[in-house]
Amino acid sequence: MTVEETLAPPEAPRWLCELCGFIYDPEEGDPDSGIPPGTAFEDIPDDWMCPICGAEKSDFRMLEPGEHLPGM
Amino acid sequence: MITGYGHFVQLAESLQWDETAIDLTTDIESWTKLEDSEYDQILGLIAGFCVGETSVALHLGSFQSKATVDDAMAGCFEAQARDEARHARFFDRVVGEVVGVPGKNLNERLQVLRERVSPELLELFEERLPAIARGLAESDEELTTAVGLYHMILEGVVLTAGQHALLDALEKLSVPMPGMRKGMELVLRDERWHIGFGSRVIQSADLVDNDLEKILNEGSKAAWAWGDLISSKDIEKVDQLHKRRLKSVGIKFW
Repeated sequence: MTVEETLAPPEAPRWLCELCGFIYDPEEGDPDSGIPPGTAFEDIPDDWMCPICGAEKSDFRMLEPGEHLPGM
Repeated sequence: MITGYGHFVQLAESLQWDETAIDLTTDIESWTKLEDSEYDQILGLIAGFCVGETSVALHLGSFQSKATVDDAMAGCFEAQARDEARHARFFDRVVGEVVGVPGKNLNERLQVLRERVSPELLELFEERLPAIARGLAESDEELTTAVGLYHMILEGVVLTAGQHALLDALEKLSVPMPGMRKGMELVLRDERWHIGFGSRVIQSADLVDNDLEKILNEGSKAAWAWGDLISSKDIEKVDQLHKRRLKSVGIKFW
């Protein structure tokens, strides 16, 4: 592992809406809903809803690093 | 980003439910005690669902047949058709057992219920959708255009608006209707993955500006199809969700 790799911050995990398949990527955020790029899922307000199906934050689960979803 | 088609097929398998297992005993007893305004709203919404779910179940086969290049996509349409048929059977149980609409089968009961459904809803489900399905079957309609109507508008706007309105109405009733409520929650759960699947198809497609603008504008118009069965506040809410959904799949108009 290089020095840069050792010092690089760990990638913030992505989160999957278990009801509709939308994947929240912290690098992208959800700017149209006031969530800027770089926002970790945990830091999103609790009243935020999935932009695809309207589900709540509690309906999301964290994707493990390297987790492969069928069809992706 | 939305997950791949294989994920939706697995998700659909995990969400299967049995519409005959829902206990409607309390609902049957409560139905006769509804206040007039409650009766009109609930029956109006249920009638719309009977028309809508029957139509979508009937016409989804054309979509599946068109998904020839991707087995997983075809698998999603097949799973969705199974769900929609189940929804139609659930609503038929409600109108037959709870409401007591006369008729030997769903089709006969539908003829009675259609009188309670707005012309706008009838036009969407009994003219527009069948026309799109015929176009798919005759090969002159593009699948993504059809998905734009079906998933983004009919499911994403019209049926979503109706589902939320019915669940809200059931919560506020003067009498308990737990069976209907349970069934509606399961219907809504299914519809969420249907909308996710449709959004995935749209996201992957190379739609031109005209198609995108059509989905946007038709969705906003379709939000009013339930007439006064849904409040203008709830119509506005579902229209905002529609716009937000389109933005999330990469459609940017503003």
